[in-house]
Amino acid sequence: MFIWSFALISGITMVWLLAWAIRRGEFQNMREGARMIFDDQEPAGLVTDHFPGEPR
Amino acid sequence: MIAQPLPPAIGPEFEARVEVDGSSRAVVVLFWGTSLLWLTVASLAGIISSIKLHSPDFLGGIEWLTFGRIRAVHWDTAIYGFGGLAASGTLLWLQARLCQVRLPYRNLLLVGGVVFNIGILLGVIGILMGQSTGVETLEFPLWAMPLLVVPYVFIVIANFTMYFKKVTKHTYVSQWYLMAVTVWFPILVLSAEACTNLGAVDGVAQAIANWWYGHNVVGLFATPTGIAAAYYLIPKVIGKPIHSYHLSLLGFWSNAIFYNWAGTHHLTGGPLPAWTITLGVVGSLMMFIPVITIGINHHMTMLGSFHLLKTSPTLRFAVMGSMVYTLSSFQGSLEALRSHQEVTHFTHYTIGHVHFGMYGFFAPLMFAMMYYGMPRLMDQEWSSARLIRIHFWCTLVGMLIYVFAMCYAGIRQGLMMNDPAVPFLNIVRFTIPYLGLRTLGGVILLSGTIAFLINFIRIITPHKYTWATPTLLDSERDWRKVVAKEKEQ
Repeated sequence: MFIWSFALISGITMVWLLAWAIRRGEFQNMREGARMIFDDQEPAGLVTDHFPGEPR
Repeated sequence: MIAQPLPPAIGPEFEARVEVDGSSRAVVVLFWGTSLLWLTVASLAGIISSIKLHSPDFLGGIEWLTFGRIRAVHWDTAIYGFGGLAASGTLLWLQARLCQVRLPYRNLLLVGGVVFNIGILLGVIGILMGQSTGVETLEFPLWAMPLLVVPYVFIVIANFTMYFKKVTKHTYVSQWYLMAVTVWFPILVLSAEACTNLGAVDGVAQAIANWWYGHNVVGLFATPTGIAAAYYLIPKVIGKPIHSYHLSLLGFWSNAIFYNWAGTHHLTGGPLPAWTITLGVVGSLMMFIPVITIGINHHMTMLGSFHLLKTSPTLRFAVMGSMVYTLSSFQGSLEALRSHQEVTHFTHYTIGHVHFGMYGFFAPLMFAMMYYGMPRLMDQEWSSARLIRIHFWCTLVGMLIYVFAMCYAGIRQGLMMNDPAVPFLNIVRFTIPYLGLRTLGGVILLSGTIAFLINFIRIITPHKYTWATPTLLDSERDWRKVVAKEKEQ
């Protein structure tokens, strides 16, 4: 009984979270979302890692 | 190697990022640093266990190093000590960066990190003293578990605080995974402890709960953190957005829906209702959806940038981890099939698969995270490119030797066990050379870890081992070139 109630509550929570995310517009502007890890200092197109002390 | 001061900060975004990194420095370095110490302990314990399988007299007279104890120490220090701390450090740093907010509750998290380490240490001492619970993956004595659970509550609170204070509008795909981990992991631990060691259920229901946990601690804790790291590192290092952001979200939600059901495939052939096993098999096969989406996404993002593997240590580990994620997940899904398990169940094949996932996928992605994060957190570069290369090749070669030896030996072992004409002792004798290869693989993996540990100790030792041209400052120099070029145009 404990496990089934728990599974039901968890399932409902996940569906609610998905609905919340949709309402919040998390699945819109995907292009913008994918680019949010870049900024002016580390823009898209810039390689940001290489072996230390070696020419690139 | 000459120590050089940082150049003047460039622009408000750079300053904001430096501030965020600065706020998380002490906590993340504590979590990552101690995770490497536990990885060393886990590797040593694993090697001792491995040697005992082909040379049973090895350390045979020492009671607290008997196989049943040292093997439990190996797995629990690997999953909680290395996995728990490396993943938590990754979670806190990535979330702070992606939310663009300072890490909250710094002192609480520092205390939490210390308490978590003490909890693991006490758990290890408990197991070595013979107080293991005997429940797979939950071997730590019950009295040690609160020291692991309470600090994790701090991490959950810090994670949600950062998320609800975030400056950014969007939730990046890595954040979905990180948020999910902080919800799933405490639920997993508490429910599994309740159903096994606290005795809320009896009999086969305990076995179901045990393997539901044993499988999910890898799939709903280690895996999402590894994928979150890959989705951040690969695009960030090569400077190219994810190939398909839609696919990445499909991967997350399908992973969230299907993974939870897969655990019971570990009990194929056991005295359980057939539908519970079938449920596990179906859940495992449905995992092809997230695995394929993630595999396609990582590969297509990397397309045209594979040459950077020569020059970027972070990318080497991240791509290795991502490729092995696809391969080991395919292997795992197929392994769930009853027809497959007729041969491989109760053989070394399963051990090969677990290590393929943990040391081929999860660990390299945590290493990649550290290789990328530490120079930015410490404002100085890794001291030795040679040590990084040693670490990478030891990880790759050691893992391949280990996985090949175990999977090949496991299949042959299973086929022979299915043949009643083959005496059991002959099967044991057949596996001995492969168990020796496993020890060799483990020693190579440990050598890589030691190389990394040396580099890690050096980078947290200020102004002693610093290259004249730190990587992160090179990025800033490149940025200046980009801006200058744009102005010219």
